[in-house]
Amino acid sequence: MAELKYVGTSVPRKDAIEKVTGSAQFIEDRFLGPMLYAKMKKSTVAHGKIKRLDTTKALKHPGVKAVLTGKDYPNKIGLYLVDRDFMAVEKVRFWGEPVAIVAAVTEQAAVEAVELIEVEYEELPGVFDPIEAMKPDAPIIHEDLGSYDLVPIFYPQPGTNIANHFKLRKGDVDKGFAEADMVIERDYYVPQMQHVPIETHKAAAHWSPDGKLTIWSTAQSPNVVRQLLAKSMNIPMHKIRIISSYIGGGFGCKAGASLEGLVVPFAQKFPGHVVRIVFNREEDMQGTFTRQALNAHLKTGVRKNGRITALEYKMIWDGGAYTEYGVNIVRAAGYSSTGAYDIPNVKTDSYCVYTNNSIGGPVRGFGMCEMQWGIERQLEAIAKELKMDPLEIRLINGMKEGSTTASGQVVHDVAFDKCLKIVAEKIGWGKKEGNFRGKGIAGLVKCPAQPSNAASSAIIRINEDGTAHVMVGATEMGQGMLTVISQIAAEGLHIPVDKIDIKVPDTDFTPYEWQSVGSRITYTCGTSVKRAAEDALGQIYRNASNLLEVPPEDLIFDGEKVYSTKDPTKSATIREVADSCKKCTGEGIAGPIIGTGSFVPTNMTNLDSETGQGNPGMFYCFGATAVEVEVDPETGVIKILQLAASIDSGKAINPRLCTTQLHGGTIMGLSTALYEEVLFDKGIMLNRNFTDYKIATIENVPHMDSFIIETPETNGPYGARGIGEQPMIGVAPAIANAVCDALGVDFNTFPLTPERVWRAIKAKQ
Amino acid sequence: MLSYEYVKCTDLNQVFQLMDKGEQVYPLAGGTDLMVGMRGGKYAAKMLIDIKGLEELKVLKEDEKGITIGAAVTLNEITLFAPVQKNIPILADGCHSVGSYSIRNRATLAGNICNASPAADTAAPLCCLDASVNIVSSSGTRAVPIGEFFTGPGKTALQKGELVQSIFIPKPYPQAKGVYSKASRTGSVDLATVGVAVQSWGNQVRIAVGAVAPTPVRAVSVEKAVNEKGEKDWANAAKLVHNDISPITDLRGSREYRFHMVEVLVRRGLEQTMEV
Amino acid sequence: MSEKVNINFSVNGDQETREAVVGQTLLKFIRDELHLTGTKEGCEIGECGACIVLLNGKPVNSCMVLAVELDGQELVTIEGLAKNGELDRIQQAFIDHAAFQCGYCTPGMIISARALLDRKPSPTDEDINEALSGNLCRCGAYQEIREAIKASSKK
Repeated sequence: MAELKYVGTSVPRKDAIEKVTGSAQFIEDRFLGPMLYAKMKKSTVAHGKIKRLDTTKALKHPGVKAVLTGKDYPNKIGLYLVDRDFMAVEKVRFWGEPVAIVAAVTEQAAVEAVELIEVEYEELPGVFDPIEAMKPDAPIIHEDLGSYDLVPIFYPQPGTNIANHFKLRKGDVDKGFAEADMVIERDYYVPQMQHVPIETHKAAAHWSPDGKLTIWSTAQSPNVVRQLLAKSMNIPMHKIRIISSYIGGGFGCKAGASLEGLVVPFAQKFPGHVVRIVFNREEDMQGTFTRQALNAHLKTGVRKNGRITALEYKMIWDGGAYTEYGVNIVRAAGYSSTGAYDIPNVKTDSYCVYTNNSIGGPVRGFGMCEMQWGIERQLEAIAKELKMDPLEIRLINGMKEGSTTASGQVVHDVAFDKCLKIVAEKIGWGKKEGNFRGKGIAGLVKCPAQPSNAASSAIIRINEDGTAHVMVGATEMGQGMLTVISQIAAEGLHIPVDKIDIKVPDTDFTPYEWQSVGSRITYTCGTSVKRAAEDALGQIYRNASNLLEVPPEDLIFDGEKVYSTKDPTKSATIREVADSCKKCTGEGIAGPIIGTGSFVPTNMTNLDSETGQGNPGMFYCFGATAVEVEVDPETGVIKILQLAASIDSGKAINPRLCTTQLHGGTIMGLSTALYEEVLFDKGIMLNRNFTDYKIATIENVPHMDSFIIETPETNGPYGARGIGEQPMIGVAPAIANAVCDALGVDFNTFPLTPERVWRAIKAKQ
Repeated sequence: MLSYEYVKCTDLNQVFQLMDKGEQVYPLAGGTDLMVGMRGGKYAAKMLIDIKGLEELKVLKEDEKGITIGAAVTLNEITLFAPVQKNIPILADGCHSVGSYSIRNRATLAGNICNASPAADTAAPLCCLDASVNIVSSSGTRAVPIGEFFTGPGKTALQKGELVQSIFIPKPYPQAKGVYSKASRTGSVDLATVGVAVQSWGNQVRIAVGAVAPTPVRAVSVEKAVNEKGEKDWANAAKLVHNDISPITDLRGSREYRFHMVEVLVRRGLEQTMEV
Repeated sequence: MSEKVNINFSVNGDQETREAVVGQTLLKFIRDELHLTGTKEGCEIGECGACIVLLNGKPVNSCMVLAVELDGQELVTIEGLAKNGELDRIQQAFIDHAAFQCGYCTPGMIISARALLDRKPSPTDEDINEALSGNLCRCGAYQEIREAIKASSKK
């Protein structure tokens, strides 16, 4: 490969100056026009029939323009399993579910009017534990499950609360257990957490008299919002425009479609107005996706030499009241259910179960933090039983070049062992440092969870002066998309990064992008950009070839001019080539240069419905986390003494941004490992603000050592793969393993709050 | 947006007039509890009277009698006040434990005690320092010992029309070590799961604990054992704190963990302050 | 409708007279009336720090202050840090160290950092942790933020 000029350099972020000066516009920062403000009336019961819903008084309240209820929305909405109404129709399925919405000329009037809406419920028995919800006599939450539209890779069981049952059968588990010297069987539990991006969910809608709907949204994926609204609201796609701004953190909660549709009927009723809805913190925590809780049961067969021969993994997920997105997390966890390890015989059953808790959905890691908690804790238990070094057992079973995943997919370009060893070495693995101190390690892996045909595309316009605009549909929520995509474009175009402009998407102008989720943008959007750049560069050479009468293969473009390698005096400036290129006679050669590129993965397949075998992974990204802790045995307080994280990013397009992602994911993992758990009382979310739901502050974050491993990904742009979610996965098990090493106490769940650690210590005494 | 009247007061008489005649009149100093309470529906204010401009309430001084901290003095100002740092550092610790730096730039000591959270970080230190609360109203002034100021969760000895003017910490100062230690979920900006103030006064000790009873309370059983019976086994002494508290289970911790933690922190406090 | 009060104040060096609605927070006033949208709302209860501004040189959570309390005070928002098109040192350091990701907490973060450097020109890690513990960053740029502040401190 030729030497890279822009890829692999830590150029400053494209959004840097805007973001440090406060001029970066998030959607609430934009002046959009005459406004109406929307506020929701929310259910006060977790499961119940709506007996009476009276909006008369609210409608009469000064300043109120309209009040809508569930019946005013024509269809359901959902990405994978279409089970969700914009607002409750006839019955509510979780506490805080919207039952009515007010639009008023001021926010205050809307708030007051909401109080005037009268609702009576006939409370139904609720079910708040997915294991209970699977029992035959459990109250049924979705009576019409059998009639819902769905992508036919999901398997709901009508008449039950099971929204999806993913089955995986690899090899022969019975044989595998028979070959084992030892079988270990344990239960694990991962509670709900919340993403809490500092910017809450927001959306605004405008209906123009010619029937064009414009939506401004915090959505991670404008194209999916367009697609789902088009279907649900029966509006053709060219009549829907979704405009994205900078997004103040996503982490999965702004994936799919969330609140955008709520305000559309208002916009249609009042053309010319912009109808805006802004979730406050409490609404954001309670009304948007939570991470699905997981009840996991693992049965592992292992030989004395540490080789795992069989795994039986049963997962029961708390999908919450609607599982339109959650069903796919359950599937992803199922097909990845051996974690970063090569296990020949696997039987997995992963169930997505409706309960009357808040809606479950995607969070950074998409099921991997939850599923791999059990894997990594179980490995620790096995190592202990075998009196084997926990690092050693990971190296023995860890995936290598040519290993197969749970779904039988062969993995390539793998350097998992390197990821493990480098963090272990950093924290002085194997050296006991004293009482109450311990070391722990965890491996991790994730592939993007996306449909096999999820596509990306890019357009590059070369300006008359040789600068360029890159247009993509990916969103910027902090991950650094704008910068990395510009670098890929610069490399392909030979045009410096600072001569490239790139903006956040607007579906009327930017080309299709499936979703900015799943750590996929660098790879998918990056590939389409690389192709668009190659297309544009090809045009530059073709034009120059015509102009200079030099064969294109003899030409070089250095960013400023195109010249012949054989005779450097034959050269043209990029301006001459790009600005209506013409011969000296005045005859035109070519018009403006527009490069296009698109991408769809060709290495993914559907999975067999009975065995779950197939290729669900576009690429697999491995990493590891190692920590040293000191535990106060009296108070249960954990102090993190060392924290090292590695990720195999393939070619790091921007090493500094890779490091920030690695740090950011590690911190989010640390925060969930030690502090975060959404607490419910019969479906009522108890900790829904930052006083009650604590996340890590700067004080809680120790110095981190980070290692970017660069094993090229054969199919990735310049050898890159995505790393946004992965760093979070290993942190909780690594810390738990370290506490276990320090005190000999075990945890099947987290967060490892001081009280939980204290209880474990007490239980051991 | 909430709707109420706002009056920026220029003298105490104006404050009294407004407080006497009106219902749901709340004094506004730092506002950090009041704003949260109003937003959450805890306070339905009809009028806010802004008192932080009043010179009488901005007093922060030390004289021959002790230290006076006006109701409008912020927690950060107290933390940095040299006589506090030097003579009663336990109060500086307590003030420093409240909220975040930016919150402490607004929040006041008077506000922290008037909010009367059982978990108030300044309350336990004040209880160890013989502090008193100077209360003013149209009918005069009165001083209430800090131990009598808290009457229940969110409840104080303040009567209608009364305002805290200042908090007074008398001389003689302890002339010995005091520590405020706090157990919380994150160890960063967080409310106390348990807060323990242990102040040595020579061979005597005063101990107050927060978040383990309806109000901050003195650990009288421990104090008695140490001060009167000469108990020197701090672990034994600390166990007695269980007689003085009645913790509950809430989002931050269970009753059981609070029982445990308060004992641990009392013992550690004794170890740190009572051993030379 | 709520009562309105005339208030005089300075914002980012300019003297202003405006009407403020009683009950409106300083945060809403800054965003909706002064149209200085760099200051962000994240929780409305003083916990996240996205709305931190300098009031008389001190960082405060503007969601915890009433607009009417601004009368007679001096306000500096994130928009007031760059002077004559030149970034403040701390802003440049945030860029150099990639000390932000989504950027939503960044204005509050930078204001807190600026105030820290004003009172402690050479802060320790502990000083930084204390001064910024009221600024939540969910993207987790804390290590880079510490580095940026250290880099712009007086050696």
